Amino acid sequence: MESPFKPEITVFHCINAFPDVEGLPLGQGENFSIKAFKLPCTGMVKDVYLLRAFEAGADAVLVFACLQGQCRYVEGNLRAAKRVKFVQKLLDEIELDGRRLALFNIAAGDAAAAAEILHKALPELVKLGPNPAV
Amino acid sequence: MNTESPGRLQKVLEGGFFAVTAECGPPRGADPVPIRKKGDLLKGFVDAVNVTDNQTAIVRMSSVGACQHLLQLGLEPVMQMVTRDRNRIALQSDILGAYSLGIKNILCLSGDHQRFGSQPDAMNVFDIDSINLVRTVWNMRETGRDMSGFDLQTPPRMFIGAAANPFADPFEYRVIRLAKKIDAGADFIQTQCVYNLERFAKWMDQARDEGLTDKVHILAGVTPLKSEGMARYMAGRVAGMDIPDFVIRRMAGVPKKNAAREGIAICLETIAALREMEGVRGVHIMAIEWEEKVAEIVAAAGLLPRPSVD
Amino acid sequence: MIVGEQKSIAEIREIIAPYRKLLILGCGTCVKTCFAGGEDEVAVLASALRLALKKEGKEIAVEEFTVERQCEDAFIQEAAAHISPGTAVLSLACGAGVQAIARRFAKTPVLPGVNTTFIGVLDKQGLFTEECLGCGDCKLAIFGGICPVTRCAKKLLNGPCGGSQKGKCEVSPDLDCAWQQIIERLKILGQLGNLRVYVPPKNWKSSHAGGPRKLVREDHII
Repeated sequence: MESPFKPEITVFHCINAFPDVEGLPLGQGENFSIKAFKLPCTGMVKDVYLLRAFEAGADAVLVFACLQGQCRYVEGNLRAAKRVKFVQKLLDEIELDGRRLALFNIAAGDAAAAAEILHKALPELVKLGPNPAV
Repeated sequence: MNTESPGRLQKVLEGGFFAVTAECGPPRGADPVPIRKKGDLLKGFVDAVNVTDNQTAIVRMSSVGACQHLLQLGLEPVMQMVTRDRNRIALQSDILGAYSLGIKNILCLSGDHQRFGSQPDAMNVFDIDSINLVRTVWNMRETGRDMSGFDLQTPPRMFIGAAANPFADPFEYRVIRLAKKIDAGADFIQTQCVYNLERFAKWMDQARDEGLTDKVHILAGVTPLKSEGMARYMAGRVAGMDIPDFVIRRMAGVPKKNAAREGIAICLETIAALREMEGVRGVHIMAIEWEEKVAEIVAAAGLLPRPSVD
Repeated sequence: MIVGEQKSIAEIREIIAPYRKLLILGCGTCVKTCFAGGEDEVAVLASALRLALKKEGKEIAVEEFTVERQCEDAFIQEAAAHISPGTAVLSLACGAGVQAIARRFAKTPVLPGVNTTFIGVLDKQGLFTEECLGCGDCKLAIFGGICPVTRCAKKLLNGPCGGSQKGKCEVSPDLDCAWQQIIERLKILGQLGNLRVYVPPKNWKSSHAGGPRKLVREDHII
């Protein structure tokens, strides 16, 4: 029997959303692997980082930002949202499927929410299958 | 004014009679029959007929061509000319050609932008604007020279018109604009169709105060409404159109089968009011694709018979 | 500045299809400012193309480089190191830059990746508006500093037209009527009298209509 597909997920998160992925209540994490990039603010996420994450082999890229209106640098999460939207469109245009990329807003420090989002997203990401450009 | 054998429109206006002009659009094809049919409906009821020039930037038989067909029917055309599609070389050339065929009246316009026409991909020209065109035709008539200063052996001596929209310009500029067109050489003005008599009367007051009504013949535009839908469409979607709510309510307040009759009634009331305004020298009836109603309107407005000026 | 927009990925892919080795060449001046072809945009495009081509199993080398300006030979020369036999250059500069590259590297296919549109200003971050079409005979002084040749859709010198409605142009509800703006500006300047003066037909000889133009400054040529 074929072993189930384990998505390789790259996570960009600001340290205000949560300090690190190691601290997330994710359980054993056997059905996916995470590569994480910590940032002082998701406003630092450039379009090209999201794309290069896919070039490096990510099957999905998730961005965790602070809630609307709660970015400590005021606009960082707004800029991140616009860039994610831009790259999602680009991914659709090159037929990689923009759904592999998503941005989620969580309350500062709400590690539990981040973990729950990841778990909820997982089945959808599995359905998308491995990155076809690897 | 320097014209040999002036046309009928000029004679009617200079004779102090209330002028009546109508409008028709050439067909989207090369068959002269549709334009002749419209001409037949108008003959005897109007002093001159405006022929539009690729109106709304939709390709139609040329204005000069259609004018020629009306001339052959014994009607007097007003050739409309826009600056959107032709540069100064072509404009002057077409004016010479038109006059040589017997076309004596020209209405100078900028033209609707081609964005919404049948050829939005086209390059537009706008080499000169409508006021430049008025001045150009005036110069040809008064000096006998074309724009390059060349002495035309037989210059075109046309009766020159320009359009005015009392409902579109910014307030402080309305009268300046009218004065500018008159200074450029306009002999007559045809306005956008009037539904808001109060606002139109104010514009006429301003024009009169500036002494402009003594310098130019103003013909007020009217368009009979066919339906409530048409009224709403024009009020909402046509630039520079002012249709007051009470007019729309009148159209909405009658059963659909009586809508056309109500529209014509409003048109007749408007004409009656316009005739009372000092400085309004005529009416320009734009019953586009409803030319058969012009005869009825002219008759019911008491504007028949048309004066004899020969 | 010159404003342009990057072509769609689909169109770019069609354009580069015949080539196996690609240099995406950016420009650090105008197109960087309007987010069409600066270093960042080069990086994003390169990454997206690599992903797209990998997905289709196509092997094509994609290199990235950006020069300060592609309209000046001194800067263009720096790209030489990144061009070898077989390289096709996808230039993200404006049309002038693309052609300058093509002139300098005459044996290299040089392809445009940007649609150059207008001379304009950065109104605010992300918003660029067309201001000048290079007519060569500037009359901004009489129009209160607002150009009717460029900003009036009908290039009227004795405007406005009858299609001006509530300060908007008939062409689009989000296009301001330049003549409305001119009138308001002249009012502020106390120069409404300018509108009364007949402006004669424009002399287009100095514009592109008179033929492609050249500027020769003898005082700067040795």
